[in-house]
Amino acid sequence: MLQLLIAGLTVGSEFALIALGIHIILRATRVVNFAQGEFSIVGGLIALTCAEVLHANAWFALAGATLAGFVLGLVFEIVVLRPAGRTGGEAGVTIATIGAVFVLLYGHALVPGWGSDSHPLPGFGGPANIVILSLSKDGGAVVQVQSLWVFALLIAALAALYVFFERTYYGKAIRAAAENPLGARLVGIDVNSARAISVALGIALAAYGGTIIGPITLVGGAAGFALTIKGFVAAIVGGLESPVGCVAGGFVVGVLQVFLQSRMSYDVADPLVYSVLLLMLLVRPQGLFGRRDVVRD
Amino acid sequence: MSGALLEVRGLRAGYGALEVLRGVDLDVAAGELVAVLGPNGAGKSTLLRAISRYDVTLRGGTIVFDGADLTRANTERTVRLGCLQVPEGRQLFGRLSVEDNLRLGAFVRRRGTLETDLRSVYERFPPLAQRRAQHAYTLSGGEQQMLAIGRALMARPKLLMLDEPSTGLAPQIVEQIFAIASELARGGTALLIVEQNAYLTLRHAGRAYVLENGAVALAGTAAELLRDERVKAIYLGGSTA
Ligand SMILES: Nc1ncnc2c1ncn2[C@@H]1O[C@H](COP(=O)(O)OP(=O)(O)O)[C@@H](O)[C@H]1O
Ligand SMILES: [Mg+2]
Repeated sequence: MLQLLIAGLTVGSEFALIALGIHIILRATRVVNFAQGEFSIVGGLIALTCAEVLHANAWFALAGATLAGFVLGLVFEIVVLRPAGRTGGEAGVTIATIGAVFVLLYGHALVPGWGSDSHPLPGFGGPANIVILSLSKDGGAVVQVQSLWVFALLIAALAALYVFFERTYYGKAIRAAAENPLGARLVGIDVNSARAISVALGIALAAYGGTIIGPITLVGGAAGFALTIKGFVAAIVGGLESPVGCVAGGFVVGVLQVFLQSRMSYDVADPLVYSVLLLMLLVRPQGLFGRRDVVRD
Repeated sequence: MSGALLEVRGLRAGYGALEVLRGVDLDVAAGELVAVLGPNGAGKSTLLRAISRYDVTLRGGTIVFDGADLTRANTERTVRLGCLQVPEGRQLFGRLSVEDNLRLGAFVRRRGTLETDLRSVYERFPPLAQRRAQHAYTLSGGEQQMLAIGRALMARPKLLMLDEPSTGLAPQIVEQIFAIASELARGGTALLIVEQNAYLTLRHAGRAYVLENGAVALAGTAAELLRDERVKAIYLGGSTA
């Protein structure tokens, strides 16, 4: 039981980061980035290259992937989303993110050393497993140390985001630009730059998530879109408008997925996870943590 | 009038193919409180948007502010130059605190004077000081108008443009807002106030323009306009604030 819970929270951490990235980008662009999961895959692969080609340790690989994600996000916003928005509005931007799914999916497979297979990422150090709880007779739960790193690194990312958006002047300026672009322009904020930074932060978060989970789930392959959908389900479950909700939703979806998969085949478990999305939309569209009054916009 | 802070000449502007302003001339000098009056749909808000360079397409004419050509500027640059607008709907950051709204008002200047300016806004608008930690959306209409003006003041504007500041406010709050506008003008700031309520505005303004169908139908000092039979007939009607 505990073992499954920990496994669920571990994959849930990745869903939480995908959901948070979707939330940040949605707030700034009013559009769901369907390529969020693909960027997470590419981020993990960049970490792989850092580790294998540049012989960086796991920490430098994580820093490299996150930074590369940020730069990729800037390029993505300026070169793809902004022109798409100018000609096609929000629908145009949405379609551009769907286009990016395919470009990234088929594109990354062509990169030497990446291909279409999955690869293991080096871990963040420490012993392989530790026993953290021995309440039950069978010796308690064995926890992979890499899971503990995932939790610690998730908390570090959440703390950094909290400080940036809630405590710094530029973070507040970016929130202001996302909430009320006209109001922001009227105090002199460059709304285009603010939006680009939001998208870049969202993509950096995807790359970061793809890397911290890498030692456990492998990186690469075609799992990106499924990741997007699970992150999206997480965001809907917790509340698209609520960062706390996105994280909680990620855990809910992760735990649910692991429990279902332990009882039935993947082919049955995954559709059940997705159907939670429909259930949430019917029962509580604002999510567990969202407020009803913000659903309409 | 030469040497004015804001000089608008022959301004033609609109939305896409729709021409709203058909050759508007207007000046505002430092320390003046100038009103733009006119019926609903005359193009008053369009004029302010054209000056602040958003939403409106310029089709001809010039806008010179403090020696700079605004027809080539974007909104951020107009703010940097000291040309601030409190628009219709106020456009506050509802999910940020009152104090954060004010601090962001100083986005183009900051450094050094921010805390001093914050204190002087709180002195001018004491209700904002009491509500500094609240979300902006929780404020009453009058407080929101104060916050919108306070946020613009944080940029230390040379020109402050207010679009119908009296909308939805109780008469004594409106009086307060106009008193503060007059005080700012006495302090050397140029004020350009758009209003439909002509009588109220003319009591505080030095000069006024009456806009009709996108063109200046009448212009003069407030005293002249208050005596003008046409103004009395059309705009004052029975409505006294
Ligand atoms: N965003 C817009 N797009 C198209 N037409 C507009 C827009 N805003 C205003 N108009 C039109 O421009 C004219 C002038 O509007 P406006 O400047 O808002 O008048 P006022 O502020 O004097 O009431 C009106 O006919 C109005 O319908
Ligand atoms: Mg108007």
